[in-house]
Amino acid sequence: MADSPGGYGAGGGSGSHDNGGDGGGGDQSPRSGVREQDRFLPIANIGRIMKKALPANGKIAKDAKDTVQECVSEFISFVTSEASDKCQKEKRKTINGDDLLWAMATLGFEEYIAPLKAYLARYRELEGDTKGSVRGAEGSGKKETAGTQLHSDPQVTADFFLFYFILIYLTSGRLLQFAHQGSFSQGFSYSNSQIEY
Amino acid sequence: MRQPGAYSKLLSGGVSGKTGPHSLPLARIKKIMKKSSEDVKMISGEAPIVFSKACELFVEELTKRAWLITLQGKRRTMQKDDVASAVITTDIFDFLVNLVVEDRNNSTAAVAANKLG
Repeated sequence: MADSPGGYGAGGGSGSHDNGGDGGGGDQSPRSGVREQDRFLPIANIGRIMKKALPANGKIAKDAKDTVQECVSEFISFVTSEASDKCQKEKRKTINGDDLLWAMATLGFEEYIAPLKAYLARYRELEGDTKGSVRGAEGSGKKETAGTQLHSDPQVTADFFLFYFILIYLTSGRLLQFAHQGSFSQGFSYSNSQIEY
Repeated sequence: MRQPGAYSKLLSGGVSGKTGPHSLPLARIKKIMKKSSEDVKMISGEAPIVFSKACELFVEELTKRAWLITLQGKRRTMQKDDVASAVITTDIFDFLVNLVVEDRNNSTAAVAANKLG
């Protein structure tokens, strides 16, 4: 507990910014020199998450959303400051996900750790999938071959399509020529016939 | 093998495409992180992702606690004061007490804050 006020002290700067914008709905007030979109998460997203936590008949006043919006920014600053302190002590420059998890556990949000770890694991899994065979290469040999197959297939298809496209292009050029000639001669004969007529 | 929309299916996330699979915009989270202290220089790519979920959990918890207070007052619309009361009565939300107490110039809140502080 003695740690948390100290950690928060580092984030005191953001606290004073909040005071600047506290004039009710006047969040955009330029007094603090910080735009609203730099200080808060979008109110629509906050409102959506809040609504999800309530029963269907529950309603939320706008000022309640505004307060929660401010609280979320404060929460981010609070946790970040604590994580930042830890990084400084350990002489590291980059705040990573594990630092944040540690900070949250330290500040009393232990209950968030398990769902966050699960979320992160799922994210990493999907990230590996979408980024191709980078993660597949780390895994089993089977996965790797599957990865290369996936990669070589589109390449071959692309080459084939390119070739096919050029072929069509060339052919169509000739066809066009033919068509042009055809129409020309037709027109010619037509005009001829007209003249004859 | 790779199916489109696997992301959005697994990580129930943003309705607007802007946020991707996450329910909160990562760039905005990063900005708020950077602003929180002079010492914050570099932030790993994963950090805002952790926060996108953490903020969701935080908002849910705060909202649920505030809603209980709304119900105690036999109301159906959550007010700012309900959120403030939820903050004041929950230990882990102590860091928000100043923020909500400044908002409502209510003597009872100040008393409660003093008691906690």
